[in-house]
Amino acid sequence: MRDLFIIVKKELTELLRDKKTIINSIVLPTLLIPVLMFGGIKVSQMIQESNQQKKVQLGLVNAPQDFVALAKKDTLNQITTYTGSEDFKALIDDEAIQSALVFPADWQTQMDSLSTASVSVYRNGTKDNVNGRVSKLLETYSAQLKKKRIALLNIPTEKMNPMVQNYVEVGEQKELIGKRVGGFIPYIFILTMWGGCLLAAIDLVTGEKERKTIETTLSLPISKFSVLIGKAIVASLLGFIPALLNLTGLIIGLNFIDDIPDTFKLALTEMLSPQSITMILLLLIPFSLFLAGLIIALVAGATTFKEAQSKASPIIILIIIPLVMALMPGIEFTWATVFIPVLNIGLGVKEIMAGTINIGMYTAMLLSLVIFAVTAIYFSYKKFSDENAILS
Amino acid sequence: MIQLNNLTKSFTSKTGKGFKKETVTVNAVNKVSFECKPGRIFSLLGPNGAGKTTTLRMIAGIINPTSGNAIVDDVDISKGNEEVKKRIGFLTGSTGLYERLNPDETLDFFGKLYRLPEPSYSERKEYLFEKLGINEFRKKKLGQMSTGMKQKVSIARTLIHDPEVLIFDEPTSGLDVITADSIIDLIRESKENNKTVIFSSHIMSEVDLLCDDLAIISKGSIIYNDSFDNFKKDMKADNLTQEFINRVKEA
Repeated sequence: MRDLFIIVKKELTELLRDKKTIINSIVLPTLLIPVLMFGGIKVSQMIQESNQQKKVQLGLVNAPQDFVALAKKDTLNQITTYTGSEDFKALIDDEAIQSALVFPADWQTQMDSLSTASVSVYRNGTKDNVNGRVSKLLETYSAQLKKKRIALLNIPTEKMNPMVQNYVEVGEQKELIGKRVGGFIPYIFILTMWGGCLLAAIDLVTGEKERKTIETTLSLPISKFSVLIGKAIVASLLGFIPALLNLTGLIIGLNFIDDIPDTFKLALTEMLSPQSITMILLLLIPFSLFLAGLIIALVAGATTFKEAQSKASPIIILIIIPLVMALMPGIEFTWATVFIPVLNIGLGVKEIMAGTINIGMYTAMLLSLVIFAVTAIYFSYKKFSDENAILS
Repeated sequence: MIQLNNLTKSFTSKTGKGFKKETVTVNAVNKVSFECKPGRIFSLLGPNGAGKTTTLRMIAGIINPTSGNAIVDDVDISKGNEEVKKRIGFLTGSTGLYERLNPDETLDFFGKLYRLPEPSYSERKEYLFEKLGINEFRKKKLGQMSTGMKQKVSIARTLIHDPEVLIFDEPTSGLDVITADSIIDLIRESKENNKTVIFSSHIMSEVDLLCDDLAIISKGSIIYNDSFDNFKKDMKADNLTQEFINRVKEA
């Protein structure tokens, strides 16, 4: 145990003196979520503001005066009147206008006879801002017309609204947001955990070969198993710490970034209670050891950093697929999914954050992760003991 | 004392493409036997790829022999590598140093793992730092040092636990004459202290200067093993280098 502690201390000292490790394992994970949250909110606000200030060039044919007046109320609408024989597709493609509204020639007659008239809207489906604003304009105009007709027919308003829906939310806000947002959180920290473990494991095994220190380490009066366990612990720590910093960053972000909707902020704060954080971190300990063991087993035979990266990098697919699956609707945390690594964390974290985790299933998941970690360490030890691989 | 009895190391590799793969076994070291006595310097010479490093790695407990055995300071290497490693100071071209540590930290790391008691450890460290002239750069990271400085630290970490057996594989390679001389001096001092020393070098003048007993290894087998005095008596060539070349070629 004493020897293991000495090895861990030395490996950590070495790794933490490497700028690459500091940036990838400490700085980036801490800043990632606050920057994403702050940046995301600011960018969406900027896009919204910029869209609201954009001019919309409308082409109108046979438009009634009250509609033209309504459209002109918004000074950003630029209106061009056409006769109706123009090729609106070509005009929109050439950006002469962005949308065209063609009212029928007998619009007024149809309105007077209280019949339903059809308005053709020429538009490009990819222009969300223009289409949204045109739809809103038409909806407002349609509502005006409806109101006039109701008044004309002398019908009490309540008779036109036979049903009103009142939704009574029985699920907690925490459960709702937890199930929707909870899946994204492991997505972020498992990827940073992978990055941290990968970089550390390659540096500790292949890096030692490149720097010609592996033989020095193997000449020490300690077992190869102690050396391997020391390296696996450090690699897993360098994976675990970024995940922990991700969570810290999330909490900092929630407390210091304005503009996050209050309900969302409250729900997330409630989700990230000491109990849920402890449960999440407990899962990440064996998982980081599993990743470290797996990567060491893969890179043990590599002689260069580049070779090690090419050997270990494809595993990222096996991590991303279950994480994406965990975000899909219909895939639930059940006894069938509780033993599938990565997927179980993705689904389990959602349940933990929603406060609906089944403690029996949580224990089973934790145990399965411990078994996976032990198996991965066993294989990494086998590879690390292979003289051909480690001294190549 | 080191005793090697028919020490053999085979490496198995797979060759071929696709599903057609053949397993090839090569004896890197083939039934090597020799003895190194305390208070004497034993030179193991051989061309590149002859099996020198593999032999030294087996003696140091870094790799396990396929067959045969070796006794290092009364410990059979098959009985436990850690016990052997405690008794050996191992320095070869491939035992580099941890570049992000400084000499002080490096020796502390080795000292702790060799479980050296504190007062004698510090004394030993200071003695080696003084002897090798490490004091002026003891807080500098090894990655920022010259080859000579690094080699001095390597020698210090090899000797820190005052081992009974010392294995030096080309310890003066790439060093200036002053540094090389201080290292030669330390090897001589180890001999005077009754240590068992295996010394390997391609610099024949150093072999001439230090060697008491000699073995030449070629293609994994020992082709000569006797005292250095006898080797010199039997010499047919004009100098050591030429004699060595002739003997390897004849084998």
